[in-house]
Parts: sequence; structure tokens; C-alpha cells
Amino acid sequence: MRGSPGPFLLCARQELLLAVRSRWTQIFAVVFAVLALAVASSGYVLSGGHGVQDFARTAASLVELVLLLVPLTALLIGVLSLAPERGAAELLFSQPVSRRAILFGKVTGLFGALAAAQAVGFGAAGLVIFSRAGGSGLGGFTLLILGSFILTAVFLVLAALVSSGTVGRRTRALAIALVVWFGAVVLFDVAALGVASLLPSGPASRVLIVSVLVNPADAVRTGALLGIEGSGAFGAASLALLRFTHGAAGTGILLALSLLVWMVAPALLAARRLDKADL
Amino acid sequence: MIRFEGFSKTFGAQHAVSDLTLAVEPGEIVALLGPNGSGKTTSLKAAAGLIHPTGGGVFVGERGRPATEPDARRSLSFLPQKVTFPDSLTGREVLDFYRALRGVPRERVDAVLKMSSLNGASARAVGTYSGGMTQRLGLAVAALPDSPVLLLDEPTAALDPDGLRAFYALAEQRRREGKTVLFTTHQLGDVERLADRVAILVGGRLVALLTRRALEDWLLAHGVPLVRAETSPLEDLYRELVGGDT
Repeated sequence: MRGSPGPFLLCARQELLLAVRSRWTQIFAVVFAVLALAVASSGYVLSGGHGVQDFARTAASLVELVLLLVPLTALLIGVLSLAPERGAAELLFSQPVSRRAILFGKVTGLFGALAAAQAVGFGAAGLVIFSRAGGSGLGGFTLLILGSFILTAVFLVLAALVSSGTVGRRTRALAIALVVWFGAVVLFDVAALGVASLLPSGPASRVLIVSVLVNPADAVRTGALLGIEGSGAFGAASLALLRFTHGAAGTGILLALSLLVWMVAPALLAARRLDKADL
Repeated sequence: MIRFEGFSKTFGAQHAVSDLTLAVEPGEIVALLGPNGSGKTTSLKAAAGLIHPTGGGVFVGERGRPATEPDARRSLSFLPQKVTFPDSLTGREVLDFYRALRGVPRERVDAVLKMSSLNGASARAVGTYSGGMTQRLGLAVAALPDSPVLLLDEPTAALDPDGLRAFYALAEQRRREGKTVLFTTHQLGDVERLADRVAILVGGRLVALLTRRALEDWLLAHGVPLVRAETSPLEDLYRELVGGDT
């Protein structure tokens, strides 16, 4: 019909509606807001002080929370939505619409819902900080929000990749998603540092550089910390990358390229797998 | 129309369907019969473009295009065996989504809600629906577009008598309009009531393709008359007791 939105937009809108009504998205929004507010309001408690932290310190404190919670949520909510029950999938994919339009529409809708949920949390914390501590360090805080959105997009397309290979087997998809999260967020750093510690300085440095670029969680961590505090809070891997690129600009470009690849490549692979899948 | 031309499908080492050749013409209702695991659902899903043939092909519509092409699926509607919908959507929201996806006029939503006797429940969340109501909603989605081909996988499995009547009415209306209907079933009553031809699959192979006349003759030879009744006395009694309230 003339003037009606195309299948991509229809699927995106439908998925956004479903995600906003989903108990899991609502729980995520509340938990994220409470934790962000707690971090902002706890001020300098851990260092013996009191009062609200400014934007920069809150952002630095929120980095690890974002890195733990956002990939997990994107993977789990993504898989729950993108690996629907067989009867629902059969009806949807029998429509005269390409499977890619459905997949990318759903991913886009989910991204909108999760980004909105995070915006609620960041916004609540931001209001508290601004009213108590002013606008100092707002740039770093904004960069963290951007990093959080990028992480959401990356792990949603990874959820799409997992789902496209496990059509109609949601439990299996959820199990794989948890393994992906554990591998990327928890295990990868430990493994990279372990391997690097066994190698001489040169090869160890290269392993650490690669470890930042091939893991989207590490790439976002490095990029966010670089924007918030410079290299002051860097670990060994991020420092190795900074030395390799001779400065923040080179590091930023490499991280952006890495994250772009992490968004595009799994999305294309997921679409290809779904095109070939028997539903 | 639908044409299976030497259609075969294997899943790993398992041959689900082997060399199926069958054409379902416009204005015809064909029932796929067979025991569990005989390849009925696989064949129907291939016709809906959900399954890629291992051998041969499945073609739909006047131009006979492969069902796996999205554009070819404009000519078909499919009702899966165990259709489900997101719990948080209302019946009307489900229908609105599929209406927009198919480019169907808005008025069709009310028409199919009435056809499927879901008028009173259209504002309720699908999560509150019974199995039969969900199946009727699936039937309503399948009936939204005026497709030349209607594919239904065990459409009557969870239906109450009113749902059954809606299904029969839809299938018969499509036949009168010169559309093609292919459905699978385990309910022989559905076959007796609707089918012009019956294709019987066993172990993934087509073992018999009977016209209604041949089926009647065979049944009569075995002492069983085949009656295409509009209603049964038991159904009349049921409707009187529930007062048409669904």
C-alpha cells in the first residue's frame, strides 16, 4: 500500500513495542537506573568521603557496570526475541518478506528498546549529578553512553548470529549466548593476560594489542576510559595499544574500526545463515 | 496453484520426503494424509517457502515461482501446525501487524475477526487466549490476504465447533473463488467434509492420490458411506447449549 512503512520498519516497530512491554526490558531499565543512581550518589564513600561524584568520576565508576550488564542483557533479550517459538517464526517467515528485512528490523527494534532503557538509567544518574555537582566531565559521561549503545548493537548482532543457527531451539541459543558473554566479558581478558605473561615482552605486547581489538568489550572499555580519564586508568593491554598507535587518535580510529567490524560482520553472517536455514 | 516437482527433503541421514510430484489446481482442496512423520508438514512448509528442497522443487502461484522467493509468497497464506503469538500483543495488534506486512486494507481486520468469532476478544492480550482461540487467530491471520493459495497445517487440531465452522467456511469460500487449498490433517472428518482429492504420504513417499469419487467408491466398497454434511445433529445440539457464545 502506498505510504505504508516497509517490512523492515514494520518489524522494527513491532519488536520495539514487544521489547518495551517485555518484563525483562523493564527489569533491565529499573536495575540499570538503580545501579547508575547508586554509583552516582555513593560519591566518595569508598575513599572515605561523601557527596555526589562529578560526571567524569561517575562515568569511570560506571564503565565496569556497563561492560558486565549491557552485553549480558543484549545477548539474553536478543536471543529471547530473535529465536522465537517455532510456530511464531513459521508464520512470520512465510510472509512475502525477505528474511533479512525481518532479522534486521527486529534487531533495530530491540536496539531502540534497550538504548531507551539505558538512557533512562544514564539520564536519572545524569540529572542527580548535574543538580549536585554541575556539568564538569559531561563529555566523558556522554562517551560512555555512546560506548554502551555500541556494546548493545554489537551484542545484539551476536545474539542474531547465535539465533540464526539455532532456529526453534531457544534453550540451546540461550546457553550459547551465556557462553559468549562469559567468554567475551570474563574469560577473554584473563586468558589474554595469561598468554602474554608466558611470552617475551615483544610478542606479549602484540598479544595484548590484538586482545583489545578482537574483543568488543575490551575495545569499548579502552575507548571509554581513554575518553574519560586519558590513559590514567589503562590496564596492560590498553597501554600496549596506545604505545602501538602512538597516541589517542590512532587508538580511537583502530577501536572504532574494530567495533564497526564487530557490528557488520556478525550481522552479515547471521543474515546468510538465516537465508539458508530450514525453519 | 501449487506444484511439487520431484520434491525431496533430507535432514541429515533422514529422508523426510522423497520424490514428491503433485499439482494442486485452482478451485481445488487437497488433503495431505498420513501417519506421524510421513512428511506432510515438511511438504507443506516447503510450499510455504520455509524449507529448502534437497531435490526437485516446489512452485506456487500462477507464474510457478519457487516458494523460497519472497515475492512468490505474495500468492500464499500459511497457517503453521502450532501457531503462537507474542503474549503481550492483543489479537487486533497481531492482525494489524500482519495486515500492514501484507499491504491488506484495514477493513479486512474486522472481517477476519468476525469470521473467526474473535470479535469479543480482539482487545485482549493473546497470552490470555485458550489454545483454540490462538488457533482461530492464526486462521484469521491466514485469511487476511486474499491469496490464491492457502496452506494449512493441521488447522482443526485445537478448534471448537465454532472454529471448525469458520475453517470449513473459509476453505469452501476459497474453493468457490477458484483458489487453491492444501491442508494436512489427522481428522478424517475434515477430509470427508472438504477434500476434492486426498494425497496419502507414508514414509515420505506419495503412496496414493485419490479423487473424492474414488475415495467414496472405495469406502462404499468397504461398507462406509461418505457423507458431506453441512452440520451434524451433535453440532446442532452443542450450538444450542452454548447459545452461539464463544
